[in-house]
Amino acid sequence: MDTIVETLLEGKAISAVGLLPNGPLKPEGLNAYKYDPDKARELLKEAGWDSSQELDMVYYYADQLTADMMAAFQAYLADVGIKMNYRLLEGDVAAQLNTVPEDPVNGPSAVKWNLGYGARAALALQEYYNGFATGSSAHTPGSPEMDKLIAGINATSDPAKLKTAYAAIQTYENEQLDTIPLYYQQLFIYESTRLNRNGHEYGNEQYNYDWGIVDWTVEPDADGKKVLYTNTAPAQFFEQPWLNLGIWIHNKVVFDHLLVADGSLTSFGPQLAESYNVSDDGMTVSFTLRDGLTWHDGSPLTVEDVAWSIKTAMMIPTVNPVVSNTIHSIEGADAYSDGSADDVSGIALDGNTITLTFATLDPNVLLSFSQFAPLPAKYFPDIDPLQIQQSSFWQKPIGSGPFMVSEVKMNDFTTMVPFPDYFGGVAKIDEIVAFPSGDGDGNLLKNAGAHKADYGFTKNTADVSALEGMDFMKVTPADIPYTRMMWINHYPMN
Amino acid sequence: MLAYVIRRILILIPMALVISFLVYLGLELTPGDAVSHMISPEMMASISAERLDALRESLGLEQPFFVRYWIWLQGMLQGNFGYSTAGGVSIHTILSDRLPATLELSAVALLFSTIFGCVLGVISALKRGSTTDNVLTVTGMLGVSVPEFFFGLVAILIFALKLQWLPVGGRLLPGYDSYWDHVPHVIMPALVLSIMMTAGVMRYARSSMLDALSKEYIKTARSKGLPEWRVNLLHGFRVALTPVIVLIGFRLPVLIGGSVIIEQVYQWPGVGSEFISAVRSQDYPLVMMIALLSVMAVLTASLLVDILTALIDPRVRLDK
Repeated sequence: MDTIVETLLEGKAISAVGLLPNGPLKPEGLNAYKYDPDKARELLKEAGWDSSQELDMVYYYADQLTADMMAAFQAYLADVGIKMNYRLLEGDVAAQLNTVPEDPVNGPSAVKWNLGYGARAALALQEYYNGFATGSSAHTPGSPEMDKLIAGINATSDPAKLKTAYAAIQTYENEQLDTIPLYYQQLFIYESTRLNRNGHEYGNEQYNYDWGIVDWTVEPDADGKKVLYTNTAPAQFFEQPWLNLGIWIHNKVVFDHLLVADGSLTSFGPQLAESYNVSDDGMTVSFTLRDGLTWHDGSPLTVEDVAWSIKTAMMIPTVNPVVSNTIHSIEGADAYSDGSADDVSGIALDGNTITLTFATLDPNVLLSFSQFAPLPAKYFPDIDPLQIQQSSFWQKPIGSGPFMVSEVKMNDFTTMVPFPDYFGGVAKIDEIVAFPSGDGDGNLLKNAGAHKADYGFTKNTADVSALEGMDFMKVTPADIPYTRMMWINHYPMN
Repeated sequence: MLAYVIRRILILIPMALVISFLVYLGLELTPGDAVSHMISPEMMASISAERLDALRESLGLEQPFFVRYWIWLQGMLQGNFGYSTAGGVSIHTILSDRLPATLELSAVALLFSTIFGCVLGVISALKRGSTTDNVLTVTGMLGVSVPEFFFGLVAILIFALKLQWLPVGGRLLPGYDSYWDHVPHVIMPALVLSIMMTAGVMRYARSSMLDALSKEYIKTARSKGLPEWRVNLLHGFRVALTPVIVLIGFRLPVLIGGSVIIEQVYQWPGVGSEFISAVRSQDYPLVMMIALLSVMAVLTASLLVDILTALIDPRVRLDK
């Protein structure tokens, strides 16, 4: 993989050893499986590999880089005597990739490919392995050993115990090699020289963390106005903030969360909550809101809003899976979401405090509540939770964060101005102007070249090289939990 | 003529129905659905099939094809354009936002291309075989042959990034909303969009003018001692205009449907760019409405061309 990283990826990625990204949870001594074609041929010979067999490899990224990578994989495999053809999946990609066999131990396979290329972008590290539990994977049969190791990483939030559990599962996976880790994708944060973060840390920009935007400054324009230009404004509607937690600029600046995470999303402090408490057994968590919190329209932000938001999120599928798992672990959540109960028994309100009692331990409670944005309930009277995105609220949302939406020209631009009553102080930037784009902004380089991009992030290595070539642009790489991998379908085909 | 126009309008109804059905069928045959475009495959792996089915049901996607088409058609007949499945925004609202932008860009481009195309085509014909004619011919061929996105990107590089005379894209900047504030934004995309259109009109105008100038009545006009400008413009150009009008007429639908490529290149918030994102996200109601509007624009343009041709050329009789 080193050669591919250096050439196709222009050195802007890290060869992977294990699914989990590098960091304190990675044990020493994992086998990196260096490139050794002679050994590969020998192993294939030992296994009696039928060289006339053709493997079918699928992928779902439609970019040229991935197509080039497929050609490289094909050549490497051909070199050791394995024929492989690749194809781009289209349409209902998830069903073609993820359908689990009816018999999750013996198969046959419910998908039609032998090899698959894709990624796991994780908010919580458990996401790397939970998909290998018996009955969860489209490509790897469950095993009692793996199930036990998966239970281990989900059974505690104690950092020391988690480290031991992660070491065990990584060692097992490294030996089994059911899925081949390829490389760790990096995220690149670009900033113009006009912008100054004033010492605030960098982190995983795809999520929400304590980035201190209230303190950011930007050089004033000719009119003396301090305007920050960025992208990820909406084209047709503001996406509700529970799905792609930190991708859109409005998720980051318009909505606050009960807690705030650090850049690595591993330690937490209060944000909308003035304080929080986790019981010793981790089964009860309470948050006490700050006094005098308001929404951008001036109305009070209450624990009733928080409770309504949690209950609404229980009913909709378009919630980030980690957050969804947390709120579905609350006592009574399943009965509420299947309609057999009118309320959630595990949510209790007392004054300015909301207490959540969990039916099952969730190690990511604090992480989830550093990402989950409460919404103002009064704007969604009698709404069908499944239709929440269809509310007119999302044409100009009201939030609780340091900036409020000011002017919206859908598919043209959105402006956000400082919220004067923000509990953390008024932002120093006068205005954020955001231009519309999704993940992988096709207009990024044009806007950057025209000095209309002061801040943003990208995973596109070609864009990164071009941005680095602009003398007024600074690019900072950030290691994020985003592993590209090759799945091997172990189930027999029909 | 009135009977002809009414007959043509009545024919539009079954044609629109058939075309709408074909577009709906085309979308149906495209792999995936709106839900599979809302959530990334990576995230989809962690969401249960039951919950996704519930979402599909809430959007009405679980219904059979014909039922969905019938529901859509009923809504249309009642004047209810429906809502975007992606974000629930009413299609009326989306089109109210996007159509003015598309009209602004396309009308300017159409105006530029018509004026320049006709003038340059006539000049080229009157100076047939000269250096001017050759230069215009080569320029016209280039204009027709080179893709408009190429002109668009080159123009951005020169006029927006290097010279910084014009904005890189978009329709407006925050805080500027007067008509004149639109001008700097519309100049570059409109001129680029008009390049190909100008080249086409110029080529048509040239050959049509040459054809007209070779007719007997031109000699007759000259023999009567009429001034050359009058022969060329009133006797030659008027007749030469007929095929040019047909060409321009068939470009009128771009006023409604927009230019997909130019709107993308210039981040122009019009119907064309909306159509692309709607197709990508399989937003049936929105794709259907834009497609239907475009179809109606094409059919209406065809009717207008027929009427205008008859008005300009007295030899054409519509009701025969």
